[in-house]
Amino acid sequence: MRLKKNSIALVSALSLVVGLAVMPAANAATTVKMVLWPGPEGDAMQKVVNAYNASQGKKEGVTVKMILLSRDNTFAKEATLMKAKSSEYDIYFTASYLVGQHAPYLTALKGVNDSLYLAAPVNSLKVAGKQMALPLDTSLHFMYYRKDLIASLGANAAKYTTIAKDVLGKDLKPNTNPATWTWDDALATAAYFTQKYNPDSPTKYGYALPAKNLLYNTMIWNDVLWGLGGNWLKGGKPNLNTPTGKAAIDIYNTIYTKGLTSPESSQWEYPETNAALESGNAAMGIQWNAAYSELNTTGSMKDQTGIAAPPGTGQRTHVHALAVGLNKYSKNQVAAAKWMSYLATVPAMKAYAAAGGVPSMPSILNGMVAKNASFANIIEYAGKFGYSESAGPREFDIYAALAEVLSPAWSGQKTSGDVAAAADAAIQKLLP
Amino acid sequence: MSSTFNRERRTAGLILAAPLLLILAGLLIWPVYLGIKTSMTHDVLSEFSTYGVGLGNFKNLIKQPNFWLSLRFTLIYALVATTLEVILGFALALLFDRIFPGKRVLFSLMLVPIMIAPSLMAVMFRLILNENIGIIPGFLQKVGLHFAIFDQHNIFTSLIILDILEFTAFTFLLSYSALQNMQEEVYEAAAIDGANKRQVLFQVTLPILRPAIAIIFILRFLDSIRTFDSVYILTGGGPGTTTQTVGIYIFKTAFIYGDFGLAASAAIVLVLILAPFMPFIIKQFNLNQTGRQ
Repeated sequence: MRLKKNSIALVSALSLVVGLAVMPAANAATTVKMVLWPGPEGDAMQKVVNAYNASQGKKEGVTVKMILLSRDNTFAKEATLMKAKSSEYDIYFTASYLVGQHAPYLTALKGVNDSLYLAAPVNSLKVAGKQMALPLDTSLHFMYYRKDLIASLGANAAKYTTIAKDVLGKDLKPNTNPATWTWDDALATAAYFTQKYNPDSPTKYGYALPAKNLLYNTMIWNDVLWGLGGNWLKGGKPNLNTPTGKAAIDIYNTIYTKGLTSPESSQWEYPETNAALESGNAAMGIQWNAAYSELNTTGSMKDQTGIAAPPGTGQRTHVHALAVGLNKYSKNQVAAAKWMSYLATVPAMKAYAAAGGVPSMPSILNGMVAKNASFANIIEYAGKFGYSESAGPREFDIYAALAEVLSPAWSGQKTSGDVAAAADAAIQKLLP
Repeated sequence: MSSTFNRERRTAGLILAAPLLLILAGLLIWPVYLGIKTSMTHDVLSEFSTYGVGLGNFKNLIKQPNFWLSLRFTLIYALVATTLEVILGFALALLFDRIFPGKRVLFSLMLVPIMIAPSLMAVMFRLILNENIGIIPGFLQKVGLHFAIFDQHNIFTSLIILDILEFTAFTFLLSYSALQNMQEEVYEAAAIDGANKRQVLFQVTLPILRPAIAIIFILRFLDSIRTFDSVYILTGGGPGTTTQTVGIYIFKTAFIYGDFGLAASAAIVLVLILAPFMPFIIKQFNLNQTGRQ
């Protein structure tokens, strides 16, 4: 009998302990999981997350947990999760060039105040008129050049003209204002600063060309195409097998085959291009705006980093936004939306910028020009020269396909005539 | 009596092996089933719905020139790299098949490359071979040598050399292990017959170790065919598709172009291409004739 009583007491105590353990606390915070990639964006966002969790998150009953997947394969991992209709993460990392592909797996956002953002990035995240993601960092391209070298051009006009004639077959005079460069100016200047043509050049090569088979390099090449007045599509049809499309391919082909860039640049992407500019081996190159801080503070470009819009007869620069979108299959939609509302505020983006991010809000960028002079250029170029491709849900695939088809011509293995038709065919295959 | 005992023994064996078999089924059979199912499905990331297409993805795959180009590159790459690695690995094993001062340290150093993930090795190569900031091009330029390691004309050679640097350790280790199993009496008999070192190598050691070398070759060859991370990090498969392995083709098809069905069908075709090697390996192991009762 006593044993029975003891047993009942033990079972009751155990039930109480187990019950307390499994019962949710009355005010337990909902954990929202957000994917981002490591690097400056992830580092900066962690500070915003910490600030939110410590203050507003507590009031709203939301705790944000950020998961940094690898920088190379974040989108590949997300693709698998999306296809599996996973609810593992509540907020996905996305970008302008991917949002079309990700849109079926995202919940459209409501109440995003467009007027706070640069127009090009925020509009690039709309699919069928709906805002599918919230812009974080704005990325665009600059033509970086060594100010000291370009300033010296005027003193050697005769030599410049001779080299331009020899290499390009054109009569050209030095243009010391890269903001007004056509591609002829850029190529002639690159030739002038290539030791093969000018043994007195302080740089081995005039140009740093990111020509690896990589979709992000297609984005840079696209500036050449748009700068010449071209586009992927005309009237909804592929438009690269045209005189303009071929001319854009020929510009890369000329840079490579004339030796204005290193022969190894057929395998270059962002880090190698930066290394070429920093090491003093190259005088100029189109590169992402994110490179400015590094270029202007280290190596041969320290305090000599000039910025201009990419050359062209009508200068243009690709603009995209890195962004976050709400997983359609998230079980924490309400909590995730609260966090995203906070993320859309000026104070949150101010904290993001202070921690190293490049938010898409012009008011914040303007206030930080003293810290990073390139922020003024971002605002100016995104407004004046910015464009985003809008080729439908498979835009990301088109960038990759073009890198695959065009990179042999960029690196002189093939000619523009060999690849232009194939490029059009690749685009056609991926159009909706 | 004996028959009942054997039956009970078999049943007990099955019960004891059941957990392992279940784990194996979960880790191997289920993913293979999913792979086959996906290969027969129209499954594209940008399209919300999926539906069965039978052998449609396989028919589509056959028409993809990039698949065949990548397969051709992969086979050439694997054949060249494996041949050189087996020869070098065996030569190194012969060098180490004796006692000399510092052997233990050198032996350990030889094995370092296979302990590093291929992707990490590729990132290291990308840094140390970078012509602008890399230590090796810097040294070569100092001594007056100019060799563009990643120039498109040198890229195949460079990739093969990098593969050799990483995986010769594997062939070396297996070759060394095979050499250790050689009977000392065989060498003594050859010495009594007056065979010189060259004759011992070509007429005694190599013929005896032929099955072991064949297995090393096949294992490394199969592994080379799966090459992905190092080439992807160094070249992205380019320029164009000139260095695209089948692994890169499958990865891009699935995760860049978002066509999981086509990628799965390519993976299955790759398995079918590799499958004929398995009976050969099994034969070399003599699995039917050896083993404990």
